[in-house]
Amino acid sequence: MFERFTDRAREVVKQAAHEARAAGRRPIGTEHLLLAVLADPDNLASRVLSAAGVRAADLRAAVARHTAEGDAGLAEADAAALREIGIDLAAIVARIEESFGPDALRAAAPAPRRRWGWRQRQRPGGPFSPRSKKALELSLREALRLRHRHIGTEHILLGMLREGGGPAALVLAEAGLDLDDLRRRVELALRAAA
Amino acid sequence: MSHATELAAAAGSTDPRVGLRAVRALRRLLERLEVVQVDNARRQGWSWQEIADALEVSRQAVHKKHAGRPAVPSTWEE
Repeated sequence: MFERFTDRAREVVKQAAHEARAAGRRPIGTEHLLLAVLADPDNLASRVLSAAGVRAADLRAAVARHTAEGDAGLAEADAAALREIGIDLAAIVARIEESFGPDALRAAAPAPRRRWGWRQRQRPGGPFSPRSKKALELSLREALRLRHRHIGTEHILLGMLREGGGPAALVLAEAGLDLDDLRRRVELALRAAA
Repeated sequence: MSHATELAAAAGSTDPRVGLRAVRALRRLLERLEVVQVDNARRQGWSWQEIADALEVSRQAVHKKHAGRPAVPSTWEE
């Protein structure tokens, strides 16, 4: 699916794989695609984001906040989600640590699921999470819609925005950006560049 | 209040995303709690069958899930 990708877009995909590895997370998520886009300040997507007031360092920190593990070995976003349904994660951590010692819950990492005949290469989405795979597919759709023959970093960004539900869209929305407005900005920049 | 909480509150509690995100977090928490409790039972000499009965799953299921993992050493009561 990467035949039509520009060199810069290919670089983004490669960098996203690197971001995922560096974070110790196997599937490449939309957040890794977003960080990879921002890693090259000169690409069109990056320029649109910075014109919209996005600071790469802020987004990187936001991604880390969502994925960083707290006392329970769960991300802060998990704790927030549990709070929404009335579960106080801190209270649970305190109880467990009282009985089983400090860091008991954090140390209790479940083993990764193993399935018969399971191989990395046979994962349905390849190395990508379902959402990032969807975002990349949508980048192709966006390019077709705009009648572009190539897929550039800007189409990857459009794909992520169109996908809309992944961590990338979440941190952008949290940073106060309107995703529709951002999409319009990308299309404007494309028209200016054409 | 964190950003994520604000976002969730703004989205409204009938938003499936909020509910499903909570389920996912709960599942992660559950997995860790299970590890803590199974290890504790093993340290206290429980058999896989006894653990399986308590969890209402098959002995094979609990064994397959937990036997391969090195038990978390108890740093507290020993």
